[in-house]
Amino acid sequence: MTCDFRWSGPGKGPFPKERKTLLRCACTAIGLALIVACNRAETTHPVLRIEHEIVPQPVRVGSQTVILRVTDGAGRPVPGAHIGFEADMSHPGMSPVFGVAKEVEPGRYQAQVEFGMAGDWVILLHIALPGGQAIEKQIDVKGVRPK
Amino acid sequence: MNQSSIPVLDDGERQPIDLLRVPGLGRLFRWQYARPVLQAPLLILSGVMILHGLFGPSLAPKNLATSVTWVHFRGILVLVLLGAGNFFCLACPFMLVRQAARRIFRPRWSWPRALRNKWLSVALFAGILYIYELFDLWASPWWTAWLILSYFFAVLVVDGFFKHASFCKFVCPIGQFNFVASTLSPFEIKVRSQDVCTSCHTKDCIRGRREPVSDLVTIRGCELALFQPRKVGNMDCTFCLDCVHACPHDNVGILSRPPGSELLSDSLRSGIGYLSRRKDLTALALVFTFGALLNAFGMVSPVYAVEIWLGRILRVKHEAPVLGVIFAVFLVAEPVLLLGLAGWLTCTWGRVQRGLLPLIVRYSYGLVPLGFGMWLAHYSFHFLTGLYTIVPVTQSALLSLGWPVLGQPRWMLTGLPSSVVLIVEIGFLVLGLAGSLAVTYGLAEEDSAERPMRTFIPWAGVCALLWMASMWLMFQPMEMRAVLISG
Repeated sequence: MTCDFRWSGPGKGPFPKERKTLLRCACTAIGLALIVACNRAETTHPVLRIEHEIVPQPVRVGSQTVILRVTDGAGRPVPGAHIGFEADMSHPGMSPVFGVAKEVEPGRYQAQVEFGMAGDWVILLHIALPGGQAIEKQIDVKGVRPK
Repeated sequence: MNQSSIPVLDDGERQPIDLLRVPGLGRLFRWQYARPVLQAPLLILSGVMILHGLFGPSLAPKNLATSVTWVHFRGILVLVLLGAGNFFCLACPFMLVRQAARRIFRPRWSWPRALRNKWLSVALFAGILYIYELFDLWASPWWTAWLILSYFFAVLVVDGFFKHASFCKFVCPIGQFNFVASTLSPFEIKVRSQDVCTSCHTKDCIRGRREPVSDLVTIRGCELALFQPRKVGNMDCTFCLDCVHACPHDNVGILSRPPGSELLSDSLRSGIGYLSRRKDLTALALVFTFGALLNAFGMVSPVYAVEIWLGRILRVKHEAPVLGVIFAVFLVAEPVLLLGLAGWLTCTWGRVQRGLLPLIVRYSYGLVPLGFGMWLAHYSFHFLTGLYTIVPVTQSALLSLGWPVLGQPRWMLTGLPSSVVLIVEIGFLVLGLAGSLAVTYGLAEEDSAERPMRTFIPWAGVCALLWMASMWLMFQPMEMRAVLISG
């Protein structure tokens, strides 16, 4: 049903000049929005290659092993890197998990990640190379299953 | 105003608390710039959230847009609604922008008569819940920022073309959520004395205060068409305080009342009509209640098994149709089945002299406390377990601007332990059940004073079923992820 109510107060006519201003503002806003929308790009490191593997599969809630293989542009292992990690859930407001990956053989690093909850996780790697160069890498871990 | 205009109550009846008489608070609310002053910080915060959502980190836990929207805003909103009233609408930042825009662009048209109901906003409310699940809005700062931006855009378009508070009353999904939830709030904006209103000839609370000569409105009357002397409860009230400022007799207060009492009243309400004749409001109350369970169901492990199973049956790999089926079951089939059965039992066994549909419409409002209990349990879980996450996210945002005034981000700051929050959640669910049982029993007593239990039991059964479903949901393992229908 429609509700029964009264409106109060008279309406006023439009102001053409202000309308033009408003139209310009709207066009500017749309233009800015388009620039923002077209300006999203992923950044990648040109020479370093980082491969990852999580075992066991499928990934379940609990402690899981993340194996990282770090190689340079020529495919040679990169030893001596310091790799810190942070694992976050895709939903905000959840506890992150922090840790450090240990080098188990040249260029091969291993970390224990405690997935506290089922769902989508993201592991952020903070890599400091022996030369002092710092690199960030994101690993998406989709659909961690309940125990 | 003098004290004699406060209604004289029976000896056993308590004087209501009037927030406008609380020192400091009352003075703030009476101030004509109270609303803009409360809106301005939220407008600035909205701007920051939009910018951080568009240009900040793409990871949701690191971004202010997602953290504030999906963890803090929702939690604070439901807690304020429970503890006080619809104060978010009072401080709504969208209305501040609208007011500024209306200085240069005056609306000319009245909202179309065919849309002067809640059907559009019910559809938008359900639509937002659907989009939230489909696009995993909680995980995307980018889409969250665009959601906020589109809200501003919608406000400007609707209230740019249509007079009064058309957006608030007929469109805004957040507003509708607040209207329904605030029926359970302990405060409402209400006249202090009906006698003063009876002797009032100007009716400024609805007409607005005007210049004597030019007849121009200097202080606005209620834009939502709620005439104070005949206003009942919080439905459609945005707590904008226009009536408080417009009343020349200082006869409008923010008065305490028993939460949920308005759900028991079916008197004629200004701007609303009779609740029992408003099928659109019933639909809103049902989407509010069943949507609460659906929204929580979308965050627990069993939903993914259900979606994969449905995907196989429907032979689809996209989530949209599967979610559509789940929404149709939760928001249409389940209410029709449960309420239809309870209504039929009430008619036949309870012998209530009402038609089946009017009976269902009447008792549907009794489920609102259960729904609110579920929203409270769900949103307070995220809010309390992620309470302190706003600190490192803000630290990180400032750090990225090269302004580390708050120091390095302390990412280990999260919130209260889940074990503590679980007790709070169960408390809210029990409170919701108690509220629904009280309202439905009150309605049953009114309908059949001689044997209210026969009328009450079918509805108590519905309440018990929904409560058990809520409890089951609370104890399910949480699983927040995008769906992989293909398995």
